[in-house]
Parts: sequence; C-alpha cells; structure tokens
Amino acid sequence: MADLYRGEEVCLAQLFLQTDVAYACLSELGELALVEFRDLNSDVNAFQRKYVCEIRRCEDVERIIAYIENEIEKANIDIPDLEGNPKAPQHREFQDIKLDVEQLERELREVESNRVKLNKNRQELLEYSYMLRLSQGCVEKSGAMQRDDSLLSVYEEFSSMDKELLILEPEADSSHTMAAKLSFVSGVVSAQYLPSMERMLWRGCHGHMVLHHVPIPELMQNANTGEFVHSCVFLVSYWGEQIGMKVRKICECYHCHIYPYPESKQQQRDLVLEMHTRIEDIKLVLQRTEDYLQQKLHEAVASVGMWRVRVRKMKAIYHTMNMCRDTTASGCLVTEVWCPVRDLSRLQHVLEHCSARGGLSIPPSFLNCIPTQEPHPTIMRTNKFTSAFQNIVDSYGVASYREVNPTLYTLITFPFLFAVMFGDFGHGLLMTLFALWLVLTEQRQAKLAIHNEIWRMFFNGRYMILLMGLFSIYTGLIYNDCFSKSLVIFPSSWNVSAMFTHGPWRKETLKGSQVLSLDPNVTGVFSGPYPFGIDPVWNLAVNRLSFLNSYKMKMSIILGVFHMTFGVVLSIFNLVHFGRRADIFLVFVPQLVFLLSLFGYLVILILHKWVAWGAMDSARAPSILVHFINMVLFPTTDGTILLFHGQRGLQQFLLALVLGSGPILLFGKPLYLYRQQRRRMWRPYRQAACVRRRIDNDEEDLPLMGDGGNNVIIMPEVESDVVDRVDEKVRVDLGEEFMYTLIHTIEYCLGCVSNTASYLRLWALSLAHTQLSEVLWEMVMSSALQLPRVLSAELWARRALGAILLFPSFALFVTLTFSVLIIMEGLSAFLHALRLHWVEFQSKFYTGTGYKFTPFSFKSILEGAGFAGVPLPGHMSSPSVTGR
Amino acid sequence: MPFSEFTFNVDSGYLEGLVRGFKGGILKRTDYVNLVQCDTLEDLKLHLQSTDYGSFLANEASPLTVSVIDDKLKEKMVVEFSHMRNHAYEPLAGFLDFITYSYMIDNVILLITGTLHQRAISELVPKCHPLGSFEQMEAVNIAQTPAELYNAILVDTPLAPFFQDCISEQDLDEMNIEIIRNTLYKAYLESFFNICNQLGGTTAEMMCPILEFEADRRAIIITINSFGTELSKEDRAKLFPRCGKLHPEGLAQLARADDYEQVKNVADYYPDYKQLFEGVGSNPGEKTLEDRFFEHEVKLNILAFLNQFHFGVFYSYVKLKEQECRNIVWIAECIAQRHRAKIDNYIPIF
Repeated sequence: MADLYRGEEVCLAQLFLQTDVAYACLSELGELALVEFRDLNSDVNAFQRKYVCEIRRCEDVERIIAYIENEIEKANIDIPDLEGNPKAPQHREFQDIKLDVEQLERELREVESNRVKLNKNRQELLEYSYMLRLSQGCVEKSGAMQRDDSLLSVYEEFSSMDKELLILEPEADSSHTMAAKLSFVSGVVSAQYLPSMERMLWRGCHGHMVLHHVPIPELMQNANTGEFVHSCVFLVSYWGEQIGMKVRKICECYHCHIYPYPESKQQQRDLVLEMHTRIEDIKLVLQRTEDYLQQKLHEAVASVGMWRVRVRKMKAIYHTMNMCRDTTASGCLVTEVWCPVRDLSRLQHVLEHCSARGGLSIPPSFLNCIPTQEPHPTIMRTNKFTSAFQNIVDSYGVASYREVNPTLYTLITFPFLFAVMFGDFGHGLLMTLFALWLVLTEQRQAKLAIHNEIWRMFFNGRYMILLMGLFSIYTGLIYNDCFSKSLVIFPSSWNVSAMFTHGPWRKETLKGSQVLSLDPNVTGVFSGPYPFGIDPVWNLAVNRLSFLNSYKMKMSIILGVFHMTFGVVLSIFNLVHFGRRADIFLVFVPQLVFLLSLFGYLVILILHKWVAWGAMDSARAPSILVHFINMVLFPTTDGTILLFHGQRGLQQFLLALVLGSGPILLFGKPLYLYRQQRRRMWRPYRQAACVRRRIDNDEEDLPLMGDGGNNVIIMPEVESDVVDRVDEKVRVDLGEEFMYTLIHTIEYCLGCVSNTASYLRLWALSLAHTQLSEVLWEMVMSSALQLPRVLSAELWARRALGAILLFPSFALFVTLTFSVLIIMEGLSAFLHALRLHWVEFQSKFYTGTGYKFTPFSFKSILEGAGFAGVPLPGHMSSPSVTGR
Repeated sequence: MPFSEFTFNVDSGYLEGLVRGFKGGILKRTDYVNLVQCDTLEDLKLHLQSTDYGSFLANEASPLTVSVIDDKLKEKMVVEFSHMRNHAYEPLAGFLDFITYSYMIDNVILLITGTLHQRAISELVPKCHPLGSFEQMEAVNIAQTPAELYNAILVDTPLAPFFQDCISEQDLDEMNIEIIRNTLYKAYLESFFNICNQLGGTTAEMMCPILEFEADRRAIIITINSFGTELSKEDRAKLFPRCGKLHPEGLAQLARADDYEQVKNVADYYPDYKQLFEGVGSNPGEKTLEDRFFEHEVKLNILAFLNQFHFGVFYSYVKLKEQECRNIVWIAECIAQRHRAKIDNYIPIF
C-alpha cells in the first residue's frame, strides 16, 4: 500500500556499456524491465542509426517467420502457446535460427509451387475433359437445329467429325463460291466475360464466325487468383486464317484457356479416357504433396513460436541500442535511463554481472546518476487488485512525479459511492457472485480475456466489481431493498394494533378512509428506531418516497462534504512534500475554512436536526434550507425558531470566516511572492548562480556529474545580464501567478457550491434505481401473479393459469433485471461514481500532469501486438499496468 | 443544383472525409529530405515504413527493385481509389469514372504503340496503369486501322464518344497514334470540362482552373513537340483542346508558331504562364518546362483542398498521389543507379 501512497523515487542515470557486452546487458535488462531508455539520437533518422542493419536482418527473418505462420494457419494447424521464456539469441544462435528458417522457407515454397503447378495442371485437365464432353454436345445440338437448313448436308458431315478439314461445297443458290477451311477454336472462359467476348468476336470478325457455349456444371478454380468461378466451354467456328488470328487474340484478351480440338470422335474418346487417368494420377500426387507439407508444417509448429519471440527480442534490443550515443573513441555506448532508486543496486548488479561474463575487467560497464530538472516519470507499482483502480485514476491523468496518488483512497470510496447509487441487496448479491466467479476462475478467464475485448474489460475490473457488489449488499441492507421488496430481518418497530388499543382508531375508521396515517406519539405505535437500516414498514407506506427522499438527500450532502474535505486535506501532503510551506497558510487553510464554515456547518445542522428533533415535536421542526439561506442573506424579519441556542452568533462568525478567506485566497500568494522577489533583489549574485545552473540544465541538458553546485563559475561580465534575466523572469511569473490564483480561487469557491450540489446525484441515482426495480416488479411479476384472479373465477383454472403464466413472466423479469437493472443501471452508476472522483474529489488536490514510466521490457513488447514498426520514443507499446 | 452544399454530405460526406484523411498521408517536405538521404532502397523502405505507407513493402523479398516499389505504390493508390469508387453515388461515381478515362487513353495508346513495335501483349499489359485497365484492353492489337479499333473494341468502352474524330485516319503508324492520342485527350478534356460546368457550384469553381491549365499545357507541349516533325500546322491546330485560357486567341497564335521563342511570346500574354517560362533551362539549377508545369499543377491541386463540398478534391488527390508516386520512383531510381546529382529534382507537394 505504501507504493500507492505516492509514486516511487526515480533518478536519471547514465550507463556506460562496453560495446561488446551491451547486447547481453540489454537482454538482461529487457527481461527484468528495470529501466526506461531515453532516445539520445532523436535528431538522427531511423535509417541512419548504427544498428539499422541488424534490425533489418531481424525483420527479414520475421518476414519469413510470418510466412511460415501463415502457411501453418492455412493448413489449419493450431500453434500451441509458448511455454517458458526463451532468451534473446546470441549472434551465433541467431545465425542458426536464420539458417533453419530460410531452409524451411525454401522447402515450403518449393512444395507450395509444386502444389500450385499440380493444381493448375489438374484444373487444366479437368477443363479439357469438360470441354471435350460438352463441346461435342453443343456441336450436335447446333447440327440438330440446322437440320432443316440448306446447309444440312454440310453440318451432318461436320458433326460426324471424320475429317479434319471440311471443304464446303458451293451452294446452288449462292452468288459466289466459298471455299475455305472451317476451323475451330475451343476452350474455356469464365462466364462473366462470355457476353462481352461474344460481342467483340462478332464485331472483330464482322460476323464471320459462330460461337457456341455450354456452362460447366462445376465451379472452376482460377489459376491466378484461386477463386472459384462459373465457367463456360465455348467453341468458335470460323473460316480463314485472318479471322483465326483475330479470334485467337480476342480469346487471349479474355484470359481464355484454349485447348486443341480433337480431330475425330475416336480420338476424342481416347482423349477423355486419358484425361481421366491423368487426373487420377495428379490427384494422387497432390495428396502426397499435401501430406508432405503437413508433415513439414507439424515439424515447424514446435519451434515457430520460440523463433518469433527470440527474434523479436533481438530486434527490440537493437532498437534500444539505436537510442544510445556511440562514443567510438572509448569503445562504449553511452545511454541515459530513468531508473527507480530502489532498483539501482539491481541495475548495478546486472551491469557488473554482464561485464564479468564478457571477460572484461577494464574499463567495466558502469552507471552514474545525474541530477536533472526534467520532469521525472511516475512509477506506481500495482497488483492485480489495485491495477483497475489505478487505471481509473490514470485515465484522468497520470500523477505528476511524487504526487499524492488518489488511487489509495479510490480503492474504497469508489465502490462505496457506486453502492450508494446502486444500493439493492439482490442486485448487489448477483454482482458479487459474478465477480467472485471471475476471481475464482482467474486462470481460465485470463486466457479467454486475451481475445475478447469486452470480456477483458470486465475481467480486468473483477476485483472492483467484487467490491462494488459487496458494498451494494451493504447499502441495499441499509436501504432495506431486495429486488424492490423489503427484508424483515428484525420485527418492525411500528405497531398498527396499538392505534386501536391506545389511539383514536375504531373499526369504522378503516371502512371510511382510503389512507390512514400511524401516529408515533400514540403509546405503543412506535417503539424506537429500527436496529439496522430502514424499517420494512416503510415499504408499505404511501409516503415512503418523501421519507426516503429526505433521508437520501441529506445523506448525499453529508457524504459529499466529507469526500471533498478529505480531498482538500490531502493537498496538504503535496504541499509539505514539495516544500511549498507558504501555500499551507495562504491556500490550504483558507480553502479548508471556506469549505467547512459553509458546508461543514450545513452537515452539522443536518446531524443536529436528526438528533435533537424527535417524533414529539417534528411538526414544529424548522427547515434547514431556510436557515441555511438566512445565514447568508441576513433576514430582516425575525420569527423563525432557532435550531439551537446562540445559532445566530455562530452563523455570523462563520460567515465572517468565509468572507475573510476569500481575499486571502485571492491576494495572499501573489503578494507573498512579490515580497519574496523584493527581498531577493538585494542578493542577486547568489540568485544568479542558482539560475545559471538551472539555465544550463534546461538548455543544454548538460550531464553534470555529482552535485554540480559548487563548480559553477560566473564570469563578471555575464553577471548583470543574468540578473536582468532573473528580474524579467520573476516579474513575468508574478503576473501569471496572479491570473492563475484568480482563476483558481473563483473556480474553487464556485466549485464548492456546485460540487456539493453535484453530490446530490447520489440521491437521484439511488432513487432512480429503486423506482425502476419497483416498476419492474409491479409491471411484470406482480401483474402476472394477479392476472389469473381477474381472468377466471374458478379456483382450479386460476391455479393452472397462474402456474403457466409464471414461466414467461419470470423469464422476462430475470432478463430485464440483468440487462436493465444490473448492467445498464450499473454502468450509469459507475459513470457517475467516476465523475464524482474525477471532478469533485481529485480537483481538490490532484494535478495529474505526469507521464508513465515505461520500462524497456520484453514482456510488454511481446504482449503489445503492434510492435511491427519502429518503436520511436513514445511509440513503444506501453503495458496497461505500470511496474509489475 | 442550387444550395448543393446543404445536401452534399448526404451522399458524399463520408468520401470527402476519407479523401481528406488520405491527403493527410501524402509525404511532406521533411519526408523527402529524409528520403533523398537514403543510400539504398532498403533505407528507402525503412523510411517509408514510418510514413503513411506503413508496411506496404514488408512482404517483398530482399533485393528490392524500383519496379516493385512502383507497382506497390500504384497498387496502394488503386486500392484507395477503388474503395472510394465503390462507395460513391452518382454524380460522384461518374466523376470518379471520368478520372480513370485519361488513364484508359494512355493504356490504349501504350498498347497500340507496343504492338506496332512487335511487342507481345502479355509483356505490355503489366506496364499499363492499373487505374485505367478495362476488360477489352488486351484485344487492342487485333485492330489494324482506327476504324477497326473503334468498331471492334472501343465502341463498348466509355472512350467511344471521344473517338469519333479519329476514325478518319487511315492506318496506325507512329504519327497517327500520336494524333489519335491527342485527339482523344482533347475530346476527353473538353467533355470533362463540360461535365464539371454542368455539375456547377464549387466543383466547377475548383475543377475548371485545373482543367483549363491542363488543356493549355497540352496545347503548349503539342506545339513544342511538333517542331521538326511532319505535322502540318492545320493538323496541329486541330489537336489543341479548346477549353483553356488560351482559347481562342492564344491557340490561334500557337497554331502559327514556328519555334520555341514564338511559343514563349504567346505565353507572355498570360501572366500565369509567363512565370512558368521564366527560369526554364537545362542547366543545373534550372528546371525543365515540364517540371515547371508539374509544379504549377501541384499548386492548383492543393488549392482544391481549401474548399469544401465539391468533387475537385478527388481529382486533386489522384493527381497529387500520382505526382508522389513519380517523386518516389524518381528518388528510388536515382538511388538504385547511384546517380545522385539529380536526386533533388522531385516536386515536393506539401
């Protein structure tokens, strides 16, 4: 828990790594995730850095591995999850991997190309055999159609196919003799091109051709794209060489597969048979190839995961080495890292260990801490319980370095405020059971959650949901709500029969009136407060809402004021830690006084009224609202009953405090700074030295070794210049400071009012939840239970009807309870709790302008799926959870 | 349609947003500065990875060639374009189709010229721009005369209306092909210009200056290229697109021009073009006229992005992307041939 109180201390360290052992060191650091590297070469292009060749080699291997994985996936083989944690490969090992992978790629590609070739071959044979069979049909059909034609004899001869060439006899009635070869082009074309091709053939050949086509009943695979398409067999018959050329060219244009047309029927029959056997052969060979491929892939599956992890680690190391400055003279890499102070010794150890293993003694790798003014990264070490809450805070803003972390308090206040809005015993119980199931089956769910984003959301927040559920059970018991019904744990402290025995009620009273009210002043009717929560009798009362509203509204105000006051109190820890002692008196105290004297007093009024006014005198009880308004407005007429003795005097005193704290907030800090500055003007030399140091650090990012305060020498002629700059700087700051204070004060004072009102959402949401669940009960379950009585008079019919109706109505009730009351209402309460924390609570003390510490870690690099590109600084895929 | 701005987003809002997003991925000056520093094509690939191109070369095996880069660049552009085309409604769909027609013209001419030089069609097809490919394209080589070309092949394509003026030519020799190309282009530009005017509104406002410039550029280039060829002045005048700023006086003067100086004199009457002709030369430090034209085109196309609710952005995006492809290929070519002297002759876009 101490880790969560504020971020850890971090220092900027300079590492000097021997070039020979740098790789090993980084590999070790990547495993341990100790440090965050800073890019010292941000002005150098990605491809001009030193280790770009190595990275390229890694990427090459990665490309091959991706190819292999793709093949494995295509073959429907599951890649098992990697067990263990293979280290980044040494240079020699990498060579081995590279050779293995390349060898495998070659083999796979060869098999693949063989397979493609065979497949193509088979496809062609298939097309050819179809063509032979179908084109025969279309020729015969056309022959049949033309039977009555004048060309009858020709076509009969043509269909018999016993000659290669047909010499057309001149017809008696033709005006010219036509003697030419009738030739054929036949083949297969994809059906979508057919109409267009037919048209072009007609146009291109001026109609001197005949095209027949028959669709192939089977889908054919396109050899180039691998798609399955509808295809047609076609047969073009034409006269003359010229046209033949054209026909062939057009066929080529439409990617037709042209196959030779058999010369005779006998030949055709032989061909069909031959095709058949060849297709069978090819099928067999294909099967063999497939088996071989499977075998190869199964071999590869075992190691492909390991290869990928190792190569990726290697690539990450070289990327990091690219961020180091290379000092060729001393033969070592210089790099700057952010490192948590408590891990410095481990870092030192790693460096020594690696240098020793490298067999180098002089000069070993070493590290050197440098002081810096730059903003440090924030480290919050979380565990599986706290990480969800830390994420909530981080999505508002990552804590500034060493700032008080609201997560620690959010752990409890968040589920609590949620539960105040969600309070229902039954719904809370369901939620708790769900979260409990998630927590107990954590191992199994974690694997599931990797692939499903929505599920991951619930899974990551499982402990939060558990707490929210538990708190909801608690508030549900306080509200005495369980699916909108009340539980009677203790007997009610209201007694109706006492109204008859001791009170004014008689038998006739019951008949005469619709609504009767119990009088707590009658002896025996009200026997003191209910032991825990709200008396179940209120669930029957007509005025239940007005009772609950008054209670919940006041409760919201009390919770809100406490929450905000706590936020303001937390700011003192920041002020003390950052040494801004003046702010404690000029900002913190007036803020607290302002809040407490207005709203703290309101809370006291509420509590006082609860305690001091009972059933006896409730009719005369004064309104808190009126009193609170009167406190500020000073009413002229004076007739109200006071809540307590000396109230008026106290209120005037508090109001004086409020009005007094305003100016202090407004002018206190700027005036203080102004005084400081005036005082500082008298000792400019010392100041100049300080500023000089700061400027150096800011502008040149000069790595000063150790405490550089003593060795700053100021040249006399520089002095006045520096003093001027100091003067100017401070003066500018003063104006800014005043504006800032002005805005801040206004925001705070108005915020106190509006934030207090904002906490009323606790009441509103809780009311909405109760009403919704009540409506659901009334409309679905209750009406279903009452319906049989309305519909039928017979007892047996009522029972039967009731039994049947219960099923659908209960199903509806359950569905709506889950979808609307638990999920939807839960989400809305969650969002409002989120807002109350972000806006109302954190605005009191939290700046959240820091940035996260993202260590160089193989784990997060491997988890971040998108590590394909160059991890430029800031682009490094960051883990969702800081630290370990 | 009046007030078309109000209804523009109903049909084309998504695509305009998309094309503006794509435009954000066009390489900037700093990218080019980095690209020209590359020593090998692998470096180029590495740098392109950090731009919008991402890993478009990631699956290419190691010895990278310029043609592979060129193909991939074009492929990426075509994928983007066809995505937009598939999601477009009329009249944007027709507009986008019109953009592709110029590439179709280029492809047809390329194929005819190739066939004339006895090249196999399968060798030529990969050289065609994928944006202008159409299904009848590969049958172009069956045609012996322009009439046949029209009747058998182009009549079914959208290019048919542009072709009407060319049918008279007798046979396909180099000269006639060039004439066909220019006549086609002339007809294309003029009808594109008309379509933009019909669309009206901001589209016309943005597109007309671009098309006017395109027409004038063609007229000037045709004139300059015709010196020393057998093309007669009357024939030359027929090829000038008549939708530019030069029409009609400038074109009449161009038709009479006999040498480069006279062309320059014509341009002097037009302040925009006068500027372009200044500082043109082939010495180092000077740019060619062609490059000056390209620069001006880029400038006009960038202007299109300053207005909203019009189709000009699509045209401009395609043209800018094409220029970018040319730039990258130029740089890659310089790197591959180790000829770094002229590597800076690319035309930066943003």
